[in-house]
Amino acid sequence: MNAVKPGTGAASRQLAVLAVAVLAFAQVPLAAAAQDAQWLARAAVAAADNRSAPFAVIDKRNAHVFVFDATGRLRASSPVLLGLARGDDSVPGIGERPVSEIRPEERTTPAGRFETEPGRNTKGEDIVWIDYDAAVSMHRVRATQKSERRLQRLASPTVADNRISYGCVNVPAAFYDAYIQPVLGSRRGVVYVLPETMAARKRFDFLGRPEQRLTRRGFSPAG
Amino acid sequence: MNSTSRLIAALALGAAGAAFAQGNPPTTAPANPATAAGQQSPSGGAMGTTGVTPESGGATRTTPPTAQGSTDTSSSSGTTVAASGDTPAMRRARADRN
Repeated sequence: MNAVKPGTGAASRQLAVLAVAVLAFAQVPLAAAAQDAQWLARAAVAAADNRSAPFAVIDKRNAHVFVFDATGRLRASSPVLLGLARGDDSVPGIGERPVSEIRPEERTTPAGRFETEPGRNTKGEDIVWIDYDAAVSMHRVRATQKSERRLQRLASPTVADNRISYGCVNVPAAFYDAYIQPVLGSRRGVVYVLPETMAARKRFDFLGRPEQRLTRRGFSPAG
Repeated sequence: MNSTSRLIAALALGAAGAAFAQGNPPTTAPANPATAAGQQSPSGGAMGTTGVTPESGGATRTTPPTAQGSTDTSSSSGTTVAASGDTPAMRRARADRN
């Protein structure tokens, strides 16, 4: 019987060290993203901006969503897919245009504080509207267009390939069902989308309040 | 009065009763049009509040799927959502940005 045994040679040890190093390196950006999101979450809760309700923070730079409970404690996080184009605003009137008429540079995921609401799209899918007027929602990842390779993009450890949508936030289906739907899918809520082209305080008023002037990378008053 | 007379009297009384009954034929028209055609409150409650059950601090209400804002209207084809301060009537379905 051929049992699989752990390697004991020098090569095995080197591989193990390499694997640990790779894993540690991969965790660094996520850890930094989590710290940014947690910092914003603490500030939001301190300012009562979340209205004592659970909420989510989307870090566009690291393509992650973080779900917090009402007290600002991190409950879960996941990679997400975001708008193809870099930018923090939606083009006026984009919500009224079919996706086929949206140019690549217009495919942005807007940043800021959004009061979300549960809803449905025209295909009857339950979604969470982030910005109803701009037609930006958070929904389960859609793999209908094979050439876009959305599932593979979500699974990859890199961030750059997570920019593919027309502005919506695509979440792994299991994560959506476990965390997004219960928190934001049945009631109004708040989602904070961290900007990628400017300081966060320019998009979140509560960061400008005296009690919130804490300095942190990317969030200091100087930006 | 002999038995023949009693029989005649009974027949006459029966015929008169039948005549009275025939004089008031059944009708399909409702006596009160406001309570016709289904929308009736079974327990004497106000219209539009039938079937309301308290749930999670609020109440369920039925609104048409296209309603914006909230008017309490009964509709068997509407979308039922929980009503509370944080729960809006669902807005019109629209295409998202995928």
